Amino acid sequence: MVDVLIGFFLATLITELFSTRLFKLIYWYALNSLFLGLIALYIGFNIDDKAMIITGFLTLFLKAIIIPYILKVYFLRFNIPRRIIPKITIQYSIILIPIVLVFTFYLITPILHNFTHANYVSIAISALFLAILLIIEHKNIAPKIVGFLSIENSLFLLGISATDGMPMMVELGIFVDLMMLVVVINLLLKEAK
Amino acid sequence: MSFVFLPPIVIFVLSYFKIHRVLMSLVASSVIIPAIYILTHHFESSYFYADKLGSFVLLVSSIVGIGISISLISLPERIKMSEKNIKKIYRFFGIFWLGVTISILANNMGIYWIGLEFATLSTVYMIKLNNTDVANKQAWKYLIVGVIGISLILFGIILMYSAGKNALNENAMNFYALSLNSKKIEGFLFEIGFLIAVTGMFIKMGFFPMNLWLADIERASIYPIGALFSGILESAIILGFFRLTKIEEHINYSHLIGFVYIYGLITLFIIVFLMYRTKDFIRLFSFSGIEHMVLISLFWVSGGYFAALLHFAAHAFFKPALFLSTGLLEQTKKYLFKGALNGYKNKLVPILVSMLLLGVISLPPSPMFFSEIYGFKAMIDVSKDSHYFLLMIFGVFIVLTLLSVVFYKFVNVYQEAVYESDGNNNKKVYKSEIFMLLWFLTALIGLLFSFDYIDGIIR
Amino acid sequence: MIDYILTILVVVFISPFLVGLIKSVKMFLLFKKPVSPFQPYYDFSKLLHKEVIYSKESSVISRIAPIFVLTPIIFVMFLLPPIFRGSFYISFMDAFTITGLLSLSTFFLMLLGLDSASSFGGIGSSREAFISALVEPAMILTIFSVSLIGGSISLGEASLNLASHFPLNHSASFILAGISFFILLIAENGRIPVDNPETHLELTMVHEAMILDTTGPNLALIETAGALKFGIFASLFVTLFIPFGANLCWCLAVSIFIVKLIFVSLVIAWIETNTAKLRLFKVPNLLGVSIVFGFLSLVTFYILGA
Repeated sequence: MVDVLIGFFLATLITELFSTRLFKLIYWYALNSLFLGLIALYIGFNIDDKAMIITGFLTLFLKAIIIPYILKVYFLRFNIPRRIIPKITIQYSIILIPIVLVFTFYLITPILHNFTHANYVSIAISALFLAILLIIEHKNIAPKIVGFLSIENSLFLLGISATDGMPMMVELGIFVDLMMLVVVINLLLKEAK
Repeated sequence: MSFVFLPPIVIFVLSYFKIHRVLMSLVASSVIIPAIYILTHHFESSYFYADKLGSFVLLVSSIVGIGISISLISLPERIKMSEKNIKKIYRFFGIFWLGVTISILANNMGIYWIGLEFATLSTVYMIKLNNTDVANKQAWKYLIVGVIGISLILFGIILMYSAGKNALNENAMNFYALSLNSKKIEGFLFEIGFLIAVTGMFIKMGFFPMNLWLADIERASIYPIGALFSGILESAIILGFFRLTKIEEHINYSHLIGFVYIYGLITLFIIVFLMYRTKDFIRLFSFSGIEHMVLISLFWVSGGYFAALLHFAAHAFFKPALFLSTGLLEQTKKYLFKGALNGYKNKLVPILVSMLLLGVISLPPSPMFFSEIYGFKAMIDVSKDSHYFLLMIFGVFIVLTLLSVVFYKFVNVYQEAVYESDGNNNKKVYKSEIFMLLWFLTALIGLLFSFDYIDGIIR
Repeated sequence: MIDYILTILVVVFISPFLVGLIKSVKMFLLFKKPVSPFQPYYDFSKLLHKEVIYSKESSVISRIAPIFVLTPIIFVMFLLPPIFRGSFYISFMDAFTITGLLSLSTFFLMLLGLDSASSFGGIGSSREAFISALVEPAMILTIFSVSLIGGSISLGEASLNLASHFPLNHSASFILAGISFFILLIAENGRIPVDNPETHLELTMVHEAMILDTTGPNLALIETAGALKFGIFASLFVTLFIPFGANLCWCLAVSIFIVKLIFVSLVIAWIETNTAKLRLFKVPNLLGVSIVFGFLSLVTFYILGA
């Protein structure tokens, strides 16, 4: 079951990379966080780790519902252009994305035996690289913001899957980071008009 | 021990009331007492950890913090700022210093990261205070680069934690526990995490390929920001780098040397030629800061611990002093080198500033001279018995050539600043600035006398 | 053997009905009075009585291309995965075979379009080449991935394996391959959002432009080829990606198959009413998603399954 959810996680991330409309980007990001929250909940219920269940619910609630809504409201208020065109054209993206995927999977092969949840670590690393690609390939601010949030998602996935439960502190740190990022963006955007 | 957190929090709280700047700097200077206390009493708990290395870095960064707070006294007379903005500066300065202190004392890698995050996010606001168009754009650029940097560091931290988890269970987040058991952790996974984390740290320190943002930021904001970056923030990052490389050495030394050398030499090459073409002080000092960071990491990785620590401490005293004295040097509002050191009624100030300016390129009595000599000795020592001896000689030769370009540039700047005049003869100097320069110079002279102590830190 | 011929005839005869059903359901959803779903049969018999006209500048290609367009598709008909266990299947159909044969048919269609010596044909052929260049790698990747999940390189055996015991631990790559193949279904058959099958404006034509110059029985052959192609793709999608019911007795299996085909047609009609046609240079974005999903499904099969 987790395999299906992780497959969808990666699929929505890749769809983010191909989209050219801003609100569709936010929508795919919301789906991405939804699948991430479901993964956290599923693994949490399986190994009965309270911390992971709580963070799974928090992820679902915050990152899949509240933050996309806030982002949409801010983007509407500041009249940010809604058509985002990537700097890397589609022809090169089609080649580049599989190269990134294969490279990260190849990187992980020597240590496959270490993890209980087999190769989710390699998917988390490839999600990190794809999110960095999302930041690099757009020129406007708005996709870059969604790119940061996707980096946070990949960090969270790594935290869930690499070990059986992270120390709670770092997960809280990620959430604090997220909150401060949104606050910072609001205050920065207020003057950048 | 927890008194060391008190002054930044007090500054933060006091910034909500009416600011009395001398009082603020007195509060800040009270941090020296807990710092010296920690220097003598080391401790280790599961969240915080102070050994000789950590307490030394803490002392250095505290001295720099005190110096910056002294120079903030004269800030509103140099730059026109509203009362609200001055309060904001102190507020963010408090958060920043608190974050960096947490990082330096951290044992748990997660706490280290949270401290860095406080520091990064508070400096973004400080850049915006200048309120010009350029400052807004630079604040955005810094936000992007800073967040990428600390996300990469967090990613690497999680991978390294999972590398150590099987052997150490919950303690795998601690620097101390990892360094004691470096034989038992999984090698390859730790290396991947280490590479990702160190790349994040290099990005934050301003290495290639993000090497232009640092200079742009420091140009676009007010001058103490540069001091904050190069003095305090870099000490927190470089401490993390030090601790992680000590662990990585036992796992795979040759990969470590190869990675850091190649990255450092490419960066050095680009930075030196960028430095050659700069036309104002702040850019010059930013690039020089990056160059010194490259040298520190090269020295540390080659095993020259004394050289690296001495160079680090000396740089942490020189660079903020130089940044803070650009308030003096650029008071004619013309960002050129010509005659910047001419025309002061008080003859003491030009002498002090030129001592700093010439000391940073390692002219003899300055500690940088000694550190560079010991550093090159360490670089040659590490390759003496291996196949790469000739390659290392070639590498040292390249580094020396690049450093000589830097030397030429600084001497050129000095000559232009002293021997040409820009016609303005009433340059003002404030007492607090003189005091700040004297403070940093005393710290540097103190450094000259503590070679033995620094030598004994890593033994 | 009898079962084999009968199942092929079922697919052959039901394909024009499916195409007519799509059009009729679209009109129904748009609150128009729906045309009968059996209209393509009437069109076929009507076209057989019309006369054939060749333009002056056309060459022998215009005479022989309609047959060459239809033939590979009929050939593929014989190679389809079986509807129920026991109807014979030919075991050398794999991803490359089916892609190659369908490309052969498309190639002759493009030649036909170029041969008419009008610029409409040229436009249609170049756009069709543009789209097929992106569809082919996606199809190979997707079908190959499904063959791996089904455990055999020949599609017939793979579909029977999927129907009998469905491997739940490969669901991720299965669903990704399904999404990719559905996008291909839309693209190869000239449905909205890739190509509008009811248009008369040159700006939006891809398939229609190439056959603008054909008349009479030639047009009947080409229209049949189009309908059979849709039938092939729908039956592939249904046997590979909705693989239940193949183990029952033959009457139940065939009726479940027909119900699944009608379901696919309804979904496509629903998508066609709710989506606008993409600009031509936005089509690579959609097909790029399909290619990368196909690749992703292969890779997750090896990584998550291995």
